[in-house]
Amino acid sequence: MAHIVMRDVQKRFGNVEVIPGASLEIKDNEFVVFVGPSGCGKSTLLRLLAGLEDLTAGAIEIDGERVDHLSPSRRGLAMVFQSYALYPHMTVRENMSYALRVARTPKAEVEAKVREAAEILQLTEYLDRKPKALSGGQRQRVAIGRAIVRDPKVFLFDEPLSNLDAKLRVQMRIEITKLHRRLKATMIYVTHDQIEAMTMADKIVVLNEGRIEQMGAPLDLYNDPDNKFVAGFIGSPAMNFFDGTVTARDDAALTVELSDKTKVVYPCANPGQAGVGDAVTLGVRPENFHFDGGDEPAIKGEVYAVERLGGETYLYLQSTAGHETVVHAVGDHEVAVGDQVAVNFNPARNHLFDPQGRTIR
Amino acid sequence: MTAMTDADFRRAIRARTLRRNLWLAFLLLPPMAVMFIFIFLPMGSAVLYSVYEWDGLVRGDFVGLENFREVLFEPQKSKFLFNAFKNNVIVFVSVMVVQNGLALVLAMLLAREPKGYRFYQVVFFLPVILSTVIIGFQWKLFLNPVFGLVNNLLRAAGLDSWALPWLGLPETALPSMILVNAWHWVGFPTLVFLAAIHRIPKDYIEAARLDGASEWRIARDIIWPLMAPAVTIIVVLTFIGAFNWFEIPYVMNGLEGAPGYSTDMLGLLFYRTAFGSISATDSDFGAGSALAVLIFLFIFTVSLIFTRLLTAREIELA
Amino acid sequence: MNKRHTFTAKAVLAGAAMMVGSSAVAQTELDFWSWRQEDVAAYNEIIAAFEETHPDIKVTYTAHPATEYNTIIATALAAGEGPDIIHTRSYGGLEVLAKPGYLEPLDEQVDMSLIGDVAKIGTTLRADGHVYAVPFASQTVLVFYNTDIFAAHGLTPPETWDEFKAVATQLKEAGVIPLANGSAEGWMLEIMSGALLPNFYGSEFFGEVTSGATDFEDPRFVGALEKMAELKEFMPDGYQGVDYATMKQLFASGAAAMFVGGSFEIPGFRDAGVNFDIIAGPAAEAGGERMVATWLDGGYGVNAASENKEAALEFARFTASQEFGQMLTDKLGNISPIEGAVSSDPTLAKISELQGASTPYIMLVAYRFNTPTGSTLIQNGLQEMFAGSKTPAEVAHDVSEGIKASE
Ligand SMILES: Nc1ncnc2c1ncn2[C@@H]1O[C@H](COP(=O)(O)OP(=O)(O)OP(=O)(O)O)[C@@H](O)[C@H]1O
Ligand SMILES: [Mg+2]
Repeated sequence: MAHIVMRDVQKRFGNVEVIPGASLEIKDNEFVVFVGPSGCGKSTLLRLLAGLEDLTAGAIEIDGERVDHLSPSRRGLAMVFQSYALYPHMTVRENMSYALRVARTPKAEVEAKVREAAEILQLTEYLDRKPKALSGGQRQRVAIGRAIVRDPKVFLFDEPLSNLDAKLRVQMRIEITKLHRRLKATMIYVTHDQIEAMTMADKIVVLNEGRIEQMGAPLDLYNDPDNKFVAGFIGSPAMNFFDGTVTARDDAALTVELSDKTKVVYPCANPGQAGVGDAVTLGVRPENFHFDGGDEPAIKGEVYAVERLGGETYLYLQSTAGHETVVHAVGDHEVAVGDQVAVNFNPARNHLFDPQGRTIR
Repeated sequence: MTAMTDADFRRAIRARTLRRNLWLAFLLLPPMAVMFIFIFLPMGSAVLYSVYEWDGLVRGDFVGLENFREVLFEPQKSKFLFNAFKNNVIVFVSVMVVQNGLALVLAMLLAREPKGYRFYQVVFFLPVILSTVIIGFQWKLFLNPVFGLVNNLLRAAGLDSWALPWLGLPETALPSMILVNAWHWVGFPTLVFLAAIHRIPKDYIEAARLDGASEWRIARDIIWPLMAPAVTIIVVLTFIGAFNWFEIPYVMNGLEGAPGYSTDMLGLLFYRTAFGSISATDSDFGAGSALAVLIFLFIFTVSLIFTRLLTAREIELA
Repeated sequence: MNKRHTFTAKAVLAGAAMMVGSSAVAQTELDFWSWRQEDVAAYNEIIAAFEETHPDIKVTYTAHPATEYNTIIATALAAGEGPDIIHTRSYGGLEVLAKPGYLEPLDEQVDMSLIGDVAKIGTTLRADGHVYAVPFASQTVLVFYNTDIFAAHGLTPPETWDEFKAVATQLKEAGVIPLANGSAEGWMLEIMSGALLPNFYGSEFFGEVTSGATDFEDPRFVGALEKMAELKEFMPDGYQGVDYATMKQLFASGAAAMFVGGSFEIPGFRDAGVNFDIIAGPAAEAGGERMVATWLDGGYGVNAASENKEAALEFARFTASQEFGQMLTDKLGNISPIEGAVSSDPTLAKISELQGASTPYIMLVAYRFNTPTGSTLIQNGLQEMFAGSKTPAEVAHDVSEGIKASE
């Protein structure tokens, strides 16, 4: 039950402008993931929302009410820190119940809530332990439990799984998703992890240097990025980029010549976004390459590395179009280092970016 | 090139271990020697001296525990010991409450980095680096009943009845000295506490803030328990300092704990018993050494107990 | 082991003497140690006078820091070394050296007939009754008064207790602090008691109390304390906090008209430029005794293990002579206990005159040997009395009990 609106939120630390201005709306019960390179302001944005930092300008509303003047605890949010921030001198029970005890909740109610949360998170048998005596995953669950008992309208997670090993991360990811379904609360989640972002989010917010580059459903961002930054950031391995020049333009397509003279005809609705002679960038995802030949344009190059994962194979090419190129192939592809290969791609399924990095649609 | 045998490897390892041990010994020897010469030797000789009778500096007969019996059980002598002990206890408790309590409050305030906190940090710490003797002397002048600053200020403020002979009354002499001590030393525990607070990850405090804890609850529930190691250090140092308290009472009210032994301390009692005071007593090394041994044993034992009890309370910061 | 050591040393010395034995006059060299660093020049002059009449003896005066002197001399003597002539402390300080046998008993070898008995108490070992050093200088407790203030208010120095209080009252009414003394430092209270108590408890009391015929709960002593307690109102405001330095400053600056102190204050007050004179403590009533309390500062002793004992004794005899006493008075401004040593300085001359009726400074002279010392007891007691926490009778009781327990 929380509808969050951030209106032109700005934050500067001294003279360092960290968030030059961000506006965003989060619907009730939505699972929103903030992604972006390190230092782009994800944590800062989360902390502004939580009230741990004061806004320099702008406004934050929750369910139509201004909250940016309220103290953190009165905004109805709970936060799970990357470091867990479990109070080391308190037992699991005390950690989980601290907020309730501070709020002078009746003892029986505290006990009931802690027990319920502990059951959800399978922590019942650890209630009397100190955090030091728990594994990383257990600590993570306590941190979440501490948030759950407060019945917050909004959960904030700042890279909560980054300290866990890969297997635990998968497990916790699923648990958090289940929790989201069960609690029906709004969740905002900061991560570096592509898979977390893609699998958990209802909506991904891509941040770059404190600016929101794009927000939308994970597959929308994947399939239809607004710009080169989002295109490059979403998807793993990242999209391949090739520099090219527009050599011809008609009503429905642009002809682009890559540095190795390969000609690519890129069909689009607004070819007017670029002119003949413009330097543009062609983006091809690794999984959009195929070996079927035909008359589709091809990238040629020498294989300098191969990664065989059994179910799939990644080829690394030093391509004649000037860039290192990653190619994804299904199955165990027969190729060796040093081989000269040509990989084809369908221009219509790829992306072209104008000199400003905007997608030409 | 011949291949190395297992024995060769073992020999090499032994040689390496030996080299490391020699190096360690080389590093440890000087401090050990210093410890021996300046701590164990005097301690040992104090124990030795305490079981002999003394004529001034001349050792007389072996008397066993006679010196201890005298200082502990002969009413005319033990009353000084117990009076001084009582005063040391008062000093310890008051310093804990006044000086360390103030230090805690200051540290909590400074930790929030108010405007100009660096300036205050320096100001509070400044008296610590001044000489205790100079501070004692300076405050003795400030507290002078005739032309001292304190009483002049009080009189100027119309509080004539407050212009007391602070150091001359049995009720005010010791409290005055304790306040002077607090003025002198408060910066030290403040700094230690401040460092301890800074060592607490900010996350804990932010988590508590999100949990709805007031500043007071954060201080009480989070910061205070997590400062435990610093508190242990300060309690033990305060204890040792309080029971070895000497300079300020000596400089301000003399070797006899004036007025009427109301500011007498174990240190003063030991000093004037062992070495005599020009104006009232001659030296008695036997009784003095017995006192030194008793004082040492007491401080050592209690410090140990304090350390044990308090470290049990400490929490490793994750 | 000590003895053998000394013996070896003697043998070596004897050998050395034989090898150089041909030199014309065998001069005996004497070492003389003291703590009086401020008196080096004067002592060298005095020694020169001695050497004139004793060409075969050469004396070297060495002064050690006063605060370390006791330790230095005791350590040296304990090691079987030390000088031939020792400037000793008095009373308990003397016993520390005399009891272990480091000092030569002098009463049968040195003529001390010019020295009074009160002074000799200071260098007598109570255990055997022998005198171990020739007394050198005495200190006297006096009442100092500011002659300018007295003249300005038309006052004459008080003779009796009633006069003393009348003068004090008049001064107080005139806005002058009558008495500079405060009670912050116990030893200064003891000094004050030295000037005020004896004329109330009388000349007999010392002998009776030290012999055990009476104790400190004697009504004479209690009565004397009661009188002393009456002075509170004439002391500075906040006198409980007035320390030694403040007292001297009050008197030297002319803020206070009178000051009870030791004769050792004279040079300081002279330097401060205050015009003052001295009187003995007031008599209990008109025609009553007017004694001053005195104590001995130290003496000249002879090292019992000295190689040159005869020469050292010769020097000791010199220190008991009238000639020496006169030099001590003239060159050092000390008050010599030697009869016939008269000072040209009127103040010193006056003290010598006042000493005609003297009484031992009781706690230092007689009760400084056991723990707790009489000084400890009286200082503490007086402080409590001036703080109002104990009555004179209670103080007397505590002192009496303490002294009995220490014996
Ligand atoms: N208290 C502060 N004072 C000054 N600069 C700060 C402060 N906190 C953050 N910054 C700066 O703001 C920028 C954004 O920081 P933020 O922690 O929000 O990044 P982030 O996106 O969470 O990065 P990461 O993925 O590494 O956690 C960084 O350049 C950082 O150095
Ligand atoms: Mg971050």
